[in-house]
Amino acid sequence: MHRYPRWPIHAALILVSVAMLLPFYWVLKTSLTGENIFAYPPSLLPQGIQPFFYVDAWYAIPFARFFLNSVLVAAMVIVANLIFNAAAGYALTKQFRGKTAILFVLLSCMMIPFQATIIPAYLITAELGLLNSYLGLALPAFSHIICIFIFKANFDAIPPSLIQAARIDGVPEWKILLRVMLPLAKPAIATNVILSFIWSWNDFLWPLIIIRDVQMQTMPLGLSTFLAYFEDTTGALYAFCVMVLVPGLLIFLLAQNQFIQGLTSGARKG
Amino acid sequence: MATEALSARDAARPRRRLFRRQRHREAAFVWCLLLPALAIFLLYRLIPLGWNFLLSFQFWEPTKPAEFAGLYHYEEMFVYDDVFWQALGNTFVYMAMAPISIVAALVLALLVDSRIRGRGVYRTIIFLSYPLMAVAVGVIWRWLYDGKVGLFNYILRSAGLIDAPIAFLETFATAMPAVIVAAIWQIVGFFMIILLTGLQSIPQHLYEAASIDGASRFRQFWRITLPLLRPSLFLCFVIGIIASFTSFDLIYVMTNGGPGHATELLITYIYKVAFTLTQFDYAGALTVVMFLLFLGVALLGNLLAGGEAGKVDITE
Amino acid sequence: MQKTWLVAALSAVVGATFLAPGLAPGAMAQEKKLTLLTWNLPIYEEKFRGWIADFKELHPDFEVEWLDKKGTEWATFYQTQLIAGTAPDIIDVQGMLWAEYAAADGLVDLTPYLDKEPDVRDRFNKEGMTLWQYDGRQYMLPYYFSKSLMIYNKNLFEAAGLDGPPDSLEAILEDGRKIAATDEGRSGFITLNFDWLYWPLFAMNGVELLNEDMTEAAFNTPEMLDTLTKLAEATSAGVVNNIAWTGRWVEPNNAFATGDIGMYQAHGAALFWIAGNAEWVNQDTLGVAAWPGGWGVPNAHGLGISASTKYPDEAFDFLKIATSDKWQTVMADTFTILTLNEKVDEALIAGLDDPLKAETLRLSLANMDKATGNWVTPKDAAIKEAFWPEIQAALLGQKSPQEAIDAAESKVNRALRRR
Repeated sequence: MHRYPRWPIHAALILVSVAMLLPFYWVLKTSLTGENIFAYPPSLLPQGIQPFFYVDAWYAIPFARFFLNSVLVAAMVIVANLIFNAAAGYALTKQFRGKTAILFVLLSCMMIPFQATIIPAYLITAELGLLNSYLGLALPAFSHIICIFIFKANFDAIPPSLIQAARIDGVPEWKILLRVMLPLAKPAIATNVILSFIWSWNDFLWPLIIIRDVQMQTMPLGLSTFLAYFEDTTGALYAFCVMVLVPGLLIFLLAQNQFIQGLTSGARKG
Repeated sequence: MATEALSARDAARPRRRLFRRQRHREAAFVWCLLLPALAIFLLYRLIPLGWNFLLSFQFWEPTKPAEFAGLYHYEEMFVYDDVFWQALGNTFVYMAMAPISIVAALVLALLVDSRIRGRGVYRTIIFLSYPLMAVAVGVIWRWLYDGKVGLFNYILRSAGLIDAPIAFLETFATAMPAVIVAAIWQIVGFFMIILLTGLQSIPQHLYEAASIDGASRFRQFWRITLPLLRPSLFLCFVIGIIASFTSFDLIYVMTNGGPGHATELLITYIYKVAFTLTQFDYAGALTVVMFLLFLGVALLGNLLAGGEAGKVDITE
Repeated sequence: MQKTWLVAALSAVVGATFLAPGLAPGAMAQEKKLTLLTWNLPIYEEKFRGWIADFKELHPDFEVEWLDKKGTEWATFYQTQLIAGTAPDIIDVQGMLWAEYAAADGLVDLTPYLDKEPDVRDRFNKEGMTLWQYDGRQYMLPYYFSKSLMIYNKNLFEAAGLDGPPDSLEAILEDGRKIAATDEGRSGFITLNFDWLYWPLFAMNGVELLNEDMTEAAFNTPEMLDTLTKLAEATSAGVVNNIAWTGRWVEPNNAFATGDIGMYQAHGAALFWIAGNAEWVNQDTLGVAAWPGGWGVPNAHGLGISASTKYPDEAFDFLKIATSDKWQTVMADTFTILTLNEKVDEALIAGLDDPLKAETLRLSLANMDKATGNWVTPKDAAIKEAFWPEIQAALLGQKSPQEAIDAAESKVNRALRRR
């Protein structure tokens, strides 16, 4: 339809891509080379590639265990988020008394920074007897308000006639949610999964506070421990950064086609 | 006549009762759906906020009984504490990250949305920085900004743009912009995806109709794309605002608020007051003020966007 | 397909919940237990296990849990636990943080224990012990210790025609100027700046931070203005390296390790770090000297007991083991570090083949009466937060020195007067 040259678009996007990838490249290069990383000028290409820093990093902490812990917590968070947020999002599509108040409460809750609530959150978790446990790690992240609104927006976009038809057929409300609404809200599900995974995977301060047992620590705490060990030998530090980031990225890359495609093409209309 | 009226009333009564019962049941259903999420927010947001609120009117130390303090901490904050004002100012400067990233993300989304080959690859690459752990991102960017052998200094010096290396994160003038660049790098891909979703949900026939009417692409962008993208833009705005004032990990690792208090945000200052200075009562007061402030900002934003928070309206 | 996933995920959740050890706290509360919280020493794990093994020989009915947190997160962790009433019993604390806890009745007073067992008290360097005394009471026992010194690059001194370390601030800056002039990219002087480590620069010009009873700032004086002005000028002239005022730990160490900086004010740990990382370093190229006037900032770790402990007596037994000749010898040999256990320190210095290291340790123990930057006050952190950002801004040329001093004075006074 439009006949205009494509190359400027490619040029712009390639430029941006290079800029976005540069930090990745640089940290990978630093972690793989045995050169003196404090020499100036730095070499742009990796010289003398060797995996020693990765070996160092691997033995510094129980990597597999931390990885497993992170995966378990992330799995709990994802499942809980899907259930809680879909339910709440669906509720918000309806008219009911107190809805304005609820919307206001949710909006307010978004404005309460977690870092400022560590102490009471800790005391509450202690009351629940969940210190030093997976559930305690995951519980505060069981619902994200933004995700609730994403579900709500998605449900809002579903033609009301579909719901009306189901209602006239006498389908109970909870079944409408499960059988009619959810299958049509795939983009929201995808977004929820990605976001709750990312947020759970990267959480740093909360695990730091509530986990005492080394066997229960998650990946970001591994990074923190690692900073304590290797503050000086920076090559190994960057190797560890790569090792911390790669699993998250891999999981994301494996899932991304499904997720983003569901997210974008599912929403295409007209 | 009287009997007719009576029978009509009789007929209406059970129907109304049935209707009311149904409404009750529906209300109960709605609240059941809301309950789990609300319970989490009550436990981990509202009660902690209340705790901070109570604490802000007390003198309190972990090992001692509390004493009533009245408005002491609020007086401290507004009258004596310069750092609070500085952190507040910095937080608003840091917030500039949101509009900048949104504009950048919009441009990228439009480019990626055009039907070119390899757009999936571009999309993935641009989004790739978002899933990263902020602590690790901080470590990596600190290394890129290094004042002696950092990549950026090398590039700038090789290009002849600067003579002497700049310690980006340790210089008053450059620390904040440097942190903002890192923050934008991390979040721009996420905004791009949100906007891409919004773009793709705009019905194609609108553009087709506009083309037939002879509207230029520029005009189509202003008259169709931008208005219909408003909900997505608003979502980005909300996320951007929240990200900008809860951006703790990144600052904590990169500068910890320094040099001086040049990159001190309210959130890093609250953390410092609580855990470095052990003034939990004062930190409580700061938290309450910060909360009210940003609630105000969000409500204002909501008002400007002209609607319910998070409402995505794609009907015309 | 999707259903299988959901079922798998759900069962993972349920399984994880049951695996969670925290779900059964009742079962754990019954045994006698002590918790040891150390400060950024994961590398020393094996030896901590050794302490615990020795302790269990003495008290077989006890369990000891060991935790370690990085310095930046240590206080966050400890204070959260303190509020929740589950504070670790035995703690390793850096700097003056302990004074805050002591003032809030959060630490066990060790004086009665030491009165009962004078031979334990006699283990330690007497002047060293005063680092952990508040209101006449002993709250901590020394764990390890170092003090800031002057480390200098003999190559650069030679190149600049200097024959020895300077003996005043003027001389430092003058010598620094000569060194900086020898080649491009060189600078004369750098210092560490955390925990008052820069304070000897001011102390040796007669600046006092606080008045006698520590109720008011005492530093708004002509001497302070003079010192600050000179340092700021020297910084903008490149004589003092910028990193002195902006770097944390790794940055200044790296800067000095490149061999382009003449003098470094830092403690022994920095010197050992540099010796291990820079190829140019040896007896003939690196010198160490006492700071002009003998001033030095102690950088020390102490071991203490949280007041919330259920077993203070047993915890004290644990401290005795940790600070015993046996274990402190291991500590000293592992890190080449002073422990303020006098017998151990003597043996360590006598046994070192490396004269540079021996000299460093000897100098660290000398002039204990000139230790500075170690004000024992619970307001230490607040004073630091009030003072340093202003002074830092002046040093980096962001503010005029007098303006910065005035602002710092009013902030410090406010911090002291606050409840």
